[in-house]
Amino acid sequence: METKFKRIVLENSDAIVQMWMDNVRNLKDENYTTNIGDELYESTNREFMNVIFTSIQSQGSMEEVEQFSEKIINLGWPLSYITDGLQVFRRVTVDYILSNLDDMDDTEQIKSVFQSVDDWVEPIIRKLVNEYTGNWEQIVSLQRVALQELSAPLIPVMDRITIMPLIGTIDTERAKLIMENLLQGTINHNSEVVLIDITGVPVVDTMVAHHIIQAAEAVHLIGAKCILVGIRPEIAQTIVNLGIDLSDFSTKSSLKKGFMSALEITNRKIVPLEGKSREEQIKNIIDSI
Amino acid sequence: MRIPILKLNNYLLISIQTEIDDQTAIQFQEDLLDEIYKTESSGVVIDLTSVDIIDSFIAKVLGDVVTMSDLMGAKVVLTGIQPAVAMTLIDLGINMKNVPTALDLEQGLLKLHKELGV
Repeated sequence: METKFKRIVLENSDAIVQMWMDNVRNLKDENYTTNIGDELYESTNREFMNVIFTSIQSQGSMEEVEQFSEKIINLGWPLSYITDGLQVFRRVTVDYILSNLDDMDDTEQIKSVFQSVDDWVEPIIRKLVNEYTGNWEQIVSLQRVALQELSAPLIPVMDRITIMPLIGTIDTERAKLIMENLLQGTINHNSEVVLIDITGVPVVDTMVAHHIIQAAEAVHLIGAKCILVGIRPEIAQTIVNLGIDLSDFSTKSSLKKGFMSALEITNRKIVPLEGKSREEQIKNIIDSI
Repeated sequence: MRIPILKLNNYLLISIQTEIDDQTAIQFQEDLLDEIYKTESSGVVIDLTSVDIIDSFIAKVLGDVVTMSDLMGAKVVLTGIQPAVAMTLIDLGINMKNVPTALDLEQGLLKLHKELGV
């Protein structure tokens, strides 16, 4: 019975492809693939059909499917293109086979039509979806690793002063890592002042603020001082609007200012090498004209 | 178990090297206040480098000791709190805002020196 359906489908593949194309073209307008060129769309559609028919013909060989999915993923086409396409294919094929059967009243036969078309399409869907999700999972894990690497560097800029620049969104997991690095680093570098630079943190909400406050308190406990620097105007506004109380911490708008007060705390200052400062030199030049 | 309190000039040095239970902590509080009274010391350094666990009760006692010593005119600095201990304390919601801290004994003494303005 199944071979009979298969024969019908394979012998009339052109007609089925034509029906499928017409259906899929409608899909194109209403979603995802609108910005893809017509030519590429057509050729990919043909390839998709070829892959499906090859798979049906060869009793579910997955090699072609794998290659095709790789290509589609590289092109960055959405998964819904594949699933929608296969749904349409299922519908069209079932319609076609049914219209070619003589005995329309035999429910057993109709059932087996559905059954066998499902049997052809299911493994392809499964394979393609697996390929897609595998690809996504890989991307996510790679990015997670990359994020970990960027996560919480600690820079000892000079004796007793250390800077931790934070870039990107802070979540709970990262906050924990930041705190560990911060405390261990403070002890390892024997720092008296730690500057946490949040210039690169896009959003400071209550959670982020809570993590930063915790970090600053922990730094205080191990015996160093924490200065929060890089507070941009919009962040200052958010902090106050959210009612977050940072009055117990010293905060500065820029790393430069923070560094200056760190120098002050560690009882040092920057002096120009020569006796005269730049301003005085410029003044002298102007005077001599 | 009693924690030894060493006198150095007009400072008192305490290095806690054992796990502190509640009894020891209370005993230590009394001993230290007695010692401050006796020696008329003006500064105290409590070093916690070898302490791996501080629970909320010990933290409270330490905080109290600092306030009490302050009342008696002696400044206290806590030194050498380990990162793991610091994180636990913060998780417990204890931030010891009013307690001066320092990285190690050396910096603790320097801090006392500065605060006392000697």
